Amino acid sequence: MDKTYYDLLIIGAGPAGMTAAVYTARKGLRTLVVSKDIGGQVNWTTLVENYMGFEKIEGPELMRRFKEQMQSDHLFFIEDEVIGLRRDGENFILTGKTTREYWGKTVIVATGKRPRMLEIPGEEEFRGKGVSYCSTCDAPLFRDASVVVVGGGNSGVQAVLNLLAINAREVYLITDFQLTADQVLIDRIKDEDKVKLYPDHLVTEILGETMVTGVKIKSRETGEEQKISVEGIFIQIGLEPNSEFINELKKNERGEIVIDCHCRTNVPGVFAAGDVTHIPEKQIIVASGEGAKAALKAWEYLVNSRLASDEQKK
Amino acid sequence: MAEVTVYTTPTCPWCNRLKDFLQEEGIAYNEVNVAEDPEGAKRMVKLTSQRSVPVTIIGEQIVIGYNPEGIKELLG
Repeated sequence: MDKTYYDLLIIGAGPAGMTAAVYTARKGLRTLVVSKDIGGQVNWTTLVENYMGFEKIEGPELMRRFKEQMQSDHLFFIEDEVIGLRRDGENFILTGKTTREYWGKTVIVATGKRPRMLEIPGEEEFRGKGVSYCSTCDAPLFRDASVVVVGGGNSGVQAVLNLLAINAREVYLITDFQLTADQVLIDRIKDEDKVKLYPDHLVTEILGETMVTGVKIKSRETGEEQKISVEGIFIQIGLEPNSEFINELKKNERGEIVIDCHCRTNVPGVFAAGDVTHIPEKQIIVASGEGAKAALKAWEYLVNSRLASDEQKK
Repeated sequence: MAEVTVYTTPTCPWCNRLKDFLQEEGIAYNEVNVAEDPEGAKRMVKLTSQRSVPVTIIGEQIVIGYNPEGIKELLG
């Protein structure tokens, strides 16, 4: 097996991973980025209006520009999904889904988050057959259809707006508590006749034969259940961290990797940055900043390890 | 060679990635943008029982999602 050693392995190529890569390559570190995609969650974002330097930019376009900036003789990219991390003496070894292994002296985990599932009957079975997690992708397939949206945060309300924009027949917005979206978004849907709000309700089952035909919902207050006939359900109930492939790292109750203010994890030589960490602000600009911090600390760690090792040899 | 038709929306990252793959491999394809083409959207749902893009139809075979290996296999 090819045993190329790198100074630094970066897992993930979203804003945090790509920023870290640019920083470490500029320091002259031989850096390998291993990621299943480029751009991560930002690829699923339509308009970004709060990344400095760009008044308005589409998420995928911003990520294309990040990728363009990742050009360096010290920087390598491999498309693979990392499923394991272990230590071998002074090195760390990543295992990919492709069964390939990657060797490096330090690691930055920047794997971001993925959409959370409801984990109810019917969800897996009807995925792609009416169950969707991406309203910007799939809303146009629900023209004239009745649709449920689950989740009262910004992405839930945005999904309702996307469905209204393509002329869905009716949109049922189901939230387990009250709406928590920004008021500016709530104002855009509150007077819409087509939108039916169901606060304090849970979706308990997705029904269908070959495709979705309805959902079962339950009132949290009375426990009363009812069926709603719909052709689709958009699940927008937040995100969960891509962190389960690493057991050695300390995580919080949400599975986010716990770091200190220098992006250090509890394992020396392993750093983490961006949405996979417990840093509360999940923003592109914050993730980028954290990626830069992690990169500089990884560089410092390598410099100190080399000094320590030279010292020992004397 | 069987005709390749890809159903897409412009805001779907996996659709764009799939189109990049087809172009890199030199595979000729027709694109149906279901955001602009309501009839195309209906046709896609009817033919494939899918309500999620991308979907690729190769001859009479259907490949769901971004699946380069599946496409390569069908095209031999």
